[in-house]
Amino acid sequence: MAEGAKVSSRQGAFLMANVIFSTLIIFVPTITARHARQDAWISIILAAGAGLLVGLLAAALGRRFPDQTIFEYPAEIVGRWAGKLVGLLYVWWFLHLAAESFRVFGEFLVAIFMPETPVAVLIVLGATGGVYAVRHGLEVITRANEIFLPLAFVSVVVIFILAAGQMNFQRLLPVADVGAVQVFKGAAVALSYFGEIAAIAVLVPYLNKPREAGQVAVAGVLASAAFFLLVMLGILTVYGPDLAGAYVFPTLNETRIISIANFLERLEAVNIVIWITGAYVKICFYLWAAALGSAQVLALKDYRPLVLPLVAVAVAMSTMLHPGILELLDFRWMVWPPYALSTFELGVPLLLLVTALARGKGGRPA
Amino acid sequence: MSKRTACLLLLVLPLVLLGGCWSRQEMNELAIVLGAGVDRAPDGRVRLTLQLARPSAFAGGAEAGGGTAAKQNIVWVVSETGDTVYEAERNLALKLSRCIYWGHDVILVIGEEMARGGVRNISNFFMRNPQTRETIWVLVSKGEAKKLLESHSELEKTSAQSVGFLVRNRAGLSVILKDFQMALASCGTNPAAPRVELQKLGQPQGPGMEEKLQHEEAVITGTGVFKDDRLAGWLDTSETRGLLWLRGEVRKGAITIPSPGQPDKLISLSLVRGKTRVEPEYDGETVRFNVNLSFEADLLEQQSTEDLTTPEKVAAVEMAAAEDVFRKCADALEKARGEYGTDVFNFGEAFHRKYKKEWKVLKDCWNEEFAKAEVNIAVEAHLRRSGLLTRRASLKQE
Repeated sequence: MAEGAKVSSRQGAFLMANVIFSTLIIFVPTITARHARQDAWISIILAAGAGLLVGLLAAALGRRFPDQTIFEYPAEIVGRWAGKLVGLLYVWWFLHLAAESFRVFGEFLVAIFMPETPVAVLIVLGATGGVYAVRHGLEVITRANEIFLPLAFVSVVVIFILAAGQMNFQRLLPVADVGAVQVFKGAAVALSYFGEIAAIAVLVPYLNKPREAGQVAVAGVLASAAFFLLVMLGILTVYGPDLAGAYVFPTLNETRIISIANFLERLEAVNIVIWITGAYVKICFYLWAAALGSAQVLALKDYRPLVLPLVAVAVAMSTMLHPGILELLDFRWMVWPPYALSTFELGVPLLLLVTALARGKGGRPA
Repeated sequence: MSKRTACLLLLVLPLVLLGGCWSRQEMNELAIVLGAGVDRAPDGRVRLTLQLARPSAFAGGAEAGGGTAAKQNIVWVVSETGDTVYEAERNLALKLSRCIYWGHDVILVIGEEMARGGVRNISNFFMRNPQTRETIWVLVSKGEAKKLLESHSELEKTSAQSVGFLVRNRAGLSVILKDFQMALASCGTNPAAPRVELQKLGQPQGPGMEEKLQHEEAVITGTGVFKDDRLAGWLDTSETRGLLWLRGEVRKGAITIPSPGQPDKLISLSLVRGKTRVEPEYDGETVRFNVNLSFEADLLEQQSTEDLTTPEKVAAVEMAAAEDVFRKCADALEKARGEYGTDVFNFGEAFHRKYKKEWKVLKDCWNEEFAKAEVNIAVEAHLRRSGLLTRRASLKQE
């Protein structure tokens, strides 16, 4: 096996929660508020519910092959070459996601804090640290995350409490104002971000108890959903649906509104900490998955020599994917949800599971 | 050996990187905006006025008194025109030796003429620019915003800060940029912002008095009421009280009423807390709002000699106080709704919350619907305490 790491179920759940949460807080508030207005929180709950199913599906698939990743077991299910192809597609998926996250990480800093710095500079600096972490493997990434994620969650709660003075919960009324279709549209977008829980398909063999994969997925989705719900409620009750749907990063604006006694204000640095640590762990995990996947598909002994070239590709991709933040947002809001859900998050795992069941491949889930 | 070299390099690398970045801005390269004003220039363009801080004067302790030789001007007020706010800002930047920095802007003053012509075109810049905060106080000036920013405050270092503190203390309506924008975006309410104007106020005393015989201070004198994004008219201070009551934003204040037994003498109550509940009703034809106000007040001044501590007198005082609040609310409603035809009371929002289906029909012509709506105001007053006295100490009749 190319990676010898073992992580506990708790570490796994933390990692999954971070993978979902760090992207959720950037993209989802605006677009769900646009679709579902003040009912956006209902969309989030629906999406989290559906996200649980996506997670359980990926976990169920993984538990049939408790010592293989999604790069390996497709070969057993659909045959060697078709399986390799599926594995390679997943390598692409993780590489693409890493590149996307790199870009968002850079754009966030540039848009708000360093307007004159070229985005590539920030990405390359981030990537330098990324290479270091990825080469040290999964255990290092999960341990770092065990420190970062609680920090992010605590910050979310603290920001919510500090912003409470500006909140008006009447802004959530009337409930069900826009109709079910809009609420489901909002939920579909949010689901494509909760759907990243499918990444657990790489994690399962490295859990020290692979049969707890289902619980890990559930815990990851629920934790990220609970804290994100807090963020969404804060945004809606402070800004109302019109402004929430207009801002690029409403989560940041929730922090910017805090002004207590002309003294406790300008806490945006907290947002930077949440986002950079979250994005860092997420990017490292995806880069690790892409490197590991390449090694496994190509039957190499070690994935480490692949890390540097793959990171270079991801960095280059990140600068080429979108001309600017407007295209990036359009892609993440309009193209991403149908693309992600129909293929790597839901479509492919579902097909694999059905085929595995039909052909009787894999062991009985323990 | 190579490992040690690598370590050393790793330690040196951050020194290069942490030193700063492209977007670094030093304090002494910034022109810090304390207050911004937007007027309509005579040719119809936007005129942006900035009150810029002069940090050296701040640090020098110009208010330390006496040191006349070291006295420096503390702000510098500059204006420039442009087709958009940002263009005006850039035109201004061409003439300033330092970078304009918006992060510490306290107030945004919209000139009367600009406000009457519509504010939607100019407010966007302040929401979109990452430097300006959502918590900037928005005000409408009677006359030009430029004049207002050119004033000076006696108590605070600058007039922008002084106005900021005034609004913060809820001298009248208090509106931050975020709330202003939300009202602008909403179909169920219209924006309102405190009116600020220059007034001859007080007489500065001390060594410098001979220089400042004509002191004018920026003060808040009511409320500017908008219809959609255009300023429709003003509410005076007393009508503003009514507006605050109806919006449920009253915090503190005085209520002065005739003494029940001696109507030619007055008593004053101090408001402790107030509560507003707006209950919309709709039967398909008439929109009706039942507004229930209740408040607690303490007796704080009495010109009359009667004993107000008996239950009957307390009830009479409460009734008179309720009547006074009712009057102010009715005045504000009459002015904003009757005269200006606009809902600045968030009543449309309250209606939307309860009748979401009917709202879809009514929201596009809400101001007209609101003009026809029936508003029933009920006020409940509670006199809780009477300060340190039970009755007047001197009961001698004049």
